[in-house]
Amino acid sequence: MAGNKGRGRAAYTFNIEAVGFGRGEKLPDVALKPPPLFPDTDYKPVPLKAGEGEDYMLALKQELRETMKRMPYYMETPEEKQDIERYSKRYMKVYKEEWIPDWRRLPREMMPRKKCRKAGPKSEKAKDTGKGASLANTADVLKKIEELEKRGDGEKSDEENEEKEGSKEKSKEGDEEEDDDAAEQEEYDEEEQEEENDYINSYFEDGDDFGADSDDNMDEATY
Amino acid sequence: MTQAEIKLCSLLLQEHFGEIVEKIGVHLIRTGSQPLRAIAHDTGTSLDQVKKALCVLIQHNLVIYQVHKRGVVEYEAQCSRVLRMLRYPRYIYTAKTLYSDTGELIVEELLLNGKMTMSAVVKKVADRLTETMEDGKTMDYAEVSNTFVRLADTHFVQRCPWVPATENSDPGPPPPAPILVISEKDMYLVPKLSLIGKGKRRRSSDEDAAGEPKAKRPKHSTDNKEPIPDDGIYWQANLDRFHQHFRDQAIVSAVANRMDQTSSEIVRTMLRMSEITTPSTAPFTQPLSSNEIFRSLPVGYNISKQVLDQYLTLLADDPLEFVGKSGDSGGGMYVINLHKALGSLATATLESVVQERFGSRCARIFRLVLQKKHLEQKQVEDFAMIPAKEAKDMLYKMLSGNFISLQEIPKTPDHAPSRTFYLYTVNILSAARMLLHRCYKSIANLIERRQFETKENKRLLEKSQRVEAIIASMQATGAEEAQLQEIEEMITAPERQQLETLKRNVNKLDASEIQVDETIFLLESYIESTMKRQ
Repeated sequence: MAGNKGRGRAAYTFNIEAVGFGRGEKLPDVALKPPPLFPDTDYKPVPLKAGEGEDYMLALKQELRETMKRMPYYMETPEEKQDIERYSKRYMKVYKEEWIPDWRRLPREMMPRKKCRKAGPKSEKAKDTGKGASLANTADVLKKIEELEKRGDGEKSDEENEEKEGSKEKSKEGDEEEDDDAAEQEEYDEEEQEEENDYINSYFEDGDDFGADSDDNMDEATY
Repeated sequence: MTQAEIKLCSLLLQEHFGEIVEKIGVHLIRTGSQPLRAIAHDTGTSLDQVKKALCVLIQHNLVIYQVHKRGVVEYEAQCSRVLRMLRYPRYIYTAKTLYSDTGELIVEELLLNGKMTMSAVVKKVADRLTETMEDGKTMDYAEVSNTFVRLADTHFVQRCPWVPATENSDPGPPPPAPILVISEKDMYLVPKLSLIGKGKRRRSSDEDAAGEPKAKRPKHSTDNKEPIPDDGIYWQANLDRFHQHFRDQAIVSAVANRMDQTSSEIVRTMLRMSEITTPSTAPFTQPLSSNEIFRSLPVGYNISKQVLDQYLTLLADDPLEFVGKSGDSGGGMYVINLHKALGSLATATLESVVQERFGSRCARIFRLVLQKKHLEQKQVEDFAMIPAKEAKDMLYKMLSGNFISLQEIPKTPDHAPSRTFYLYTVNILSAARMLLHRCYKSIANLIERRQFETKENKRLLEKSQRVEAIIASMQATGAEEAQLQEIEEMITAPERQQLETLKRNVNKLDASEIQVDETIFLLESYIESTMKRQ
């Protein structure tokens, strides 16, 4: 053992011959890189099984894959807009039948809130009040515009007005978080407003945090 | 859950349900059960989309939910169930072989939709069958529902856990999630339905609107408003039952290969007799007397009782121990050792993998070590009758491939190599696990390659689809042969060749996926049954 060391051979704590290297034989090189991604195989793979059953299963598999894409369960990602709208795209749209899950089997939170709104008996009333309010609102704004035109330089007072409106919106949001029923109503309100007042709101946009708020409202409404 | 499995799950979910569902599903697999808000927050997906994705996953039985303390609902992905999507074609094909086209379509619809009510399945299947039939012929609802009942009787389809009917007197707010119950008794109980009617064609409805449908149509609209008789009773494909069938078939064909057709027929009879009486995870079938087996043999099989007894003794004496003798009463009681059989099948799979990867001489060493349990290096060289140097090389190759493992037994407590025995051995369970892991990896690779191939040729594929559509529409309007030819020539010869190559490659990749999954099935069943026994 000691002699072995003396001759400059790598020192091993065990007899190398036991592992299969003869005396004086060169040890294999140390591997310093990962093995190749596609190593050569010594043996070629055996051909796949072929037969009627296999062919049928293959066809089934490919058909299933295509069918899955046409099922309502396949959720498409909203694809980014292409520079050129292709004519052919219009015809590639696949028709999907609608799927309504059985809500009885699902946790309550799964239900989109839109459904609650429809079911609620209050919705009709909410709609009415919402419409009334929004109508009044529009009238308000219209009046304001007229005033504006007359005055021409009433920038400041207008800003104040807007801010007031903004705070109103905010308080509404607070309500929304408080309880569901109210939220339904408010949601409706906001949707109406968005439809009718959206343009004007943004017209008077003056760059404070009100803008962000209105964005939030958009989300709620579309949801 | 290993990385390879997660990767495969991700690919499968993406292919079947799109990228949003994949994102949510993989997140759930990685993190375990999670409440709704946390999922939405962690994946950066809008709440609405998360809800929709979860609905899809729950519908397909890939995610389950549970109500925790304080009414928080947590969602949990069923990873192994996601991997079963690979086997869908095989389930459908099995249903076809057992219950012909009707059975095939029933199982296909159930797998495509996750869960459905019986009436919906029957209607859909009848419509689909009618569409493939000749004009004037229709499929009767009753016939389809008969097949459905047969599938339920043989446990190939089962009821999903259902929501128990609640009394409205229950005060307080409703629970945040319904509690689903299941009872063994009702699992396969088919609701009594009087489904009368025939499958309808989508297009030809105008054709047969002669006189009778007029009276029929208003009736139908009222039908829709009526509550569906089996509302809320959902059915799903019972994958465990399918697996039991696959296992039985594997055993039968193994016996046929080892002995002969007659013995395999005997084993098949025994398995069929115990199909319903033995739970699918039991290590043995119920003991069957040779008299019982004789009576249950298929009618066309003309073998005498004596020959049967001889066969049974032969089978029981076989070293593989597929069939065991459990007693002498009733002309001899026999069982099928399912656990042993799965073990033998898994071992055979390992052997053949070694043979195809490392060659027949390696396989000889592998079998030797398998047979002798523990061997020293010197003994391996001697017993296998392979020159020492080569034998060592092979042993080390298999060792580094984790097919063979090494057991140290030190003579002294200092573990000095010179005073230690090194014994080579095959640990079948861990080798099977390793191979299973590799299988998952290879399927993921196959899918990725397939997606790459199709992506590379996307333009070409779209073009050929378009051309085909044009040709089809022109044929419908009765265009001339020359015109058709002209359009067909829009795809040039080299393009056609490229398409051919693509198709061949995709077919091969798809076929490989199916066949690797067969290996996965065997290894999984073996591992499962071994884990049960420990």
